[in-house]
Amino acid sequence: MTIRTLLASSVACAALAGAAAAQDTISIINCGDGGGGEAALQQVHIDEWLAENPGYEVAIEYVGWGQCQEKSITLAASGNPPAIAYMGSRVLKQLADAQMIRPFDMSEDALASYEPSVLGTVQFDGQVWGLPRAFSTKALFYNKTLFEQAGVDLPDGPQTWDDVMMAARAVTENTDAAGIGFPAASFDNTMHGFLNWMYSNGGEVITEDGEAVFDSPEVIETLQFYADMVPYMQDGPLAYDRAELEPLFTESRIAMYVNGGWGRATVGDVDFGLVPIPAGPSGAQSTLLITDSLVVFEGSGVEEAAADLVTYLTATDRQADFDEAGGWTPIRQTAKSDELVAADPTWAVFIDIIGAGGPEPSVIDYVAMQDAINEAIQGVILGEATPEEAAANAQRTIAELADE
Amino acid sequence: MTRRGDPFPYLLLVPAAALTLAIVAWPLIETFRLSFTNASLRPNASYVGTDNYEKIFRGDFWEVMRRTFLWMFLGVTLKIVMGTIGAVLLNAAVPGRAWFRVLVMPPWVVPIAIGVFMWSWLYNGQFGMISGLAQQIGMIDGPFEFLAYPNAAFIATIVTDVWVGTPLVALYLLAAMQSIPKELYEAAWTDGASRVYRFRRITLPLIAPSIFTMALLSAIWTFNSFDIIWILTEGGPRGATTTMIIDTYKTAISRFRFGEGAARAVMILVCLTAFAGTYLALMTRLQRGASR
Repeated sequence: MTIRTLLASSVACAALAGAAAAQDTISIINCGDGGGGEAALQQVHIDEWLAENPGYEVAIEYVGWGQCQEKSITLAASGNPPAIAYMGSRVLKQLADAQMIRPFDMSEDALASYEPSVLGTVQFDGQVWGLPRAFSTKALFYNKTLFEQAGVDLPDGPQTWDDVMMAARAVTENTDAAGIGFPAASFDNTMHGFLNWMYSNGGEVITEDGEAVFDSPEVIETLQFYADMVPYMQDGPLAYDRAELEPLFTESRIAMYVNGGWGRATVGDVDFGLVPIPAGPSGAQSTLLITDSLVVFEGSGVEEAAADLVTYLTATDRQADFDEAGGWTPIRQTAKSDELVAADPTWAVFIDIIGAGGPEPSVIDYVAMQDAINEAIQGVILGEATPEEAAANAQRTIAELADE
Repeated sequence: MTRRGDPFPYLLLVPAAALTLAIVAWPLIETFRLSFTNASLRPNASYVGTDNYEKIFRGDFWEVMRRTFLWMFLGVTLKIVMGTIGAVLLNAAVPGRAWFRVLVMPPWVVPIAIGVFMWSWLYNGQFGMISGLAQQIGMIDGPFEFLAYPNAAFIATIVTDVWVGTPLVALYLLAAMQSIPKELYEAAWTDGASRVYRFRRITLPLIAPSIFTMALLSAIWTFNSFDIIWILTEGGPRGATTTMIIDTYKTAISRFRFGEGAARAVMILVCLTAFAGTYLALMTRLQRGASR
C-alpha cells in the first residue's frame, strides 16, 4: 500500500464520517422510564416521522419523573438544551419568560381542535408554548360499602359539599374508617387537590386579567370547607400526598378521596363509585385541568425540525392513540373518546367535565405560588390560621408573583 | 537542601494551588458575585446591589436561622452523647465485640436515601412500625403521623439524622479511646478507682480533643444536611423543618432564583464561619484552662 493510497483512504473515511455527522440529531428528554405502552407507540410515530425526514436522527432519553424537568431546564440554562422536552405545562410561563422555549405556529384549525380549557393550560400572551401531551382531570372516588355501613343514602353519590360533609361525618362516626382523605403534604398535588374544590366553588387564584384574587369569598369558603372537614379526614393529612391516599382507599381506611382516572386501577376489591368534584355553595361541579406538554427549546440548532416532530406526534389521531395507550384522559374530543366511554362508562366522569374545568394558575415563579397556597392549606388544617388569615397571607405573595 | 530563593519548591505547589483555586476559591467568588445580581433563568442578569440581602432580612431569615441552629445543636449533642456511649460499649472487653463493631456500621454505610426512605415508612401513621407499636402498648389511641405536625416532624428529622450520624462519631471516638495507654487504666485500677471514676478522670479528658474536633465537624455536616430533611418533609409542614440549606435549595434550584439563592448561600457561609470561629476560640480557651 502506497502512501498515496493510505491518504486517499483516510480522506474517504473522513468524508464518510462527515456525512454521518451531517445527520442532525434531535434530542428528546422524556419523563418516565420508557417502559409503558405509550412509549413504544411514541417510538413507532417517531420512526414514521424519520422515514419522511431522512436527514435527522432522534435520540430520546427517559428520565425519572422527579428529575426530568429539572434536568432539561438545567441543561438549557447551561447552554446545552435538549431539542424537545416533556414538561408540566405549569412551567411554560417561566421558560417562555426566560426565552428558553419557542412558541408554536399554529393554524386556526389546529387551535380549534383543542377544547379552549385545555388550550388554556399552554397558551398565554397570545402564543401556544407547548403542545399538550398528557392530560388529566379529577373526580371524587367513594366507597359504596362504607357508605352503606354508615347509613349514607346517596344513590348518585355526593353531589355537593353538604353531601360530602354529611357522608364524611357519618362514616367517621359509624365505621372504623375516616370520612375522607385529603392530601396536605408540602407537595404540588396538595395545591392541585385544593384547586379542584376551589374551582367547584367558583373560585380563582388569578383572573384572566392577571389580578390575584386568592382572598375572594369563594376561596375563603373553600379554605373554610377544609377546616370543617378536618375532624373527618385521615389522621395527619399533612403527611400525605395524593399517591399516599391510594392505599388508604384500597384498604377502606378512607371513604372518599379525589384522584385522576388512573385511580380506578388501584382500588383493588373496593366497590367504588365516581362522581365529578361536588359543587360548593358558590359554584358548580368542576375540576382542575392539568396537562404535560412537549416543548421546543431554543438553541438546539434543530428548532424547526423539532417543532415539526412535536406537531407530528401530537396530531389528532396519533395523540388519541397515545392517550389510549397511556390511559390518559383524551386531550381532544374525537370518535375515540366516545368509544372509550362506550367501553368503560366511568370515563364519562373524567371527560364530560373538561369544558367546565380550570387550568393551573400561571405565574413565572410557580413554585413560590405553590408554597404560598400549600402554606395556607396547612395553616387552616392545623388550626394555626383562620381561612381569612391564611387567604390574606397567600394573597400577598400571589399578588407579588402575578405582577412579575 | 534547597537554596533560599529557589523557585522550584513553589513551582511544585502550583498544581495544588491551581486546583484549590478552581474548585474552592472560584466558586466561592462566583457565588459572592452572583449574590449581588438578579440572576435567574432569564438570559440577562443585572447587578442589584444589596437587594437580595435586604430581601433575606425582610423575610423569615432569623426564624430559619434559629431553627437551623436548634436543629444542629440538638442533632450534634445527641450524636456526641450517643456516639460516646457507643464507643465505650464497643471498647468494652466483651465476647464478640468485633461483631458489634460491624453491626454499628449499617446506618452509616447504607446509602442515606435508602435509610431515610426506611425511616419515612417507620414514621407513617397508618402502616408504620412506630405508630403501630405505640398503639399496641396503649401509648396512643389511634394512628399518629409523625411527619404531619410541625414539632413532631422537627424531632423526627433530628432522630433520623442522629441515626445516620452516630456510627461515625462512635467509631472516631473508639479509635481515640484505643490510643489511650493501658498502663493508665492499670495504675488507676491498682489504686482502686471505679469504672466511672476511670472514665471521668482518664478516658474523658484524653478523648476530649477528639470530641471537640468531631463536634465541630459534625456541626458543619449537620448544618449543611440536606437529604434527610428533603426526603422526609421537603422542609414542611408549614416550614417547620426548613433549615438554611433547604431554604437556599428551594430558592436557587426549585425556583431558579440564582441571585437570591447565592445570597442565602453566602449567609450560610457567614453563619458557619462565625460559629466555627467562636467554637474554636472557646475550645482553645477551655483546653488552656484545663492544662494549667
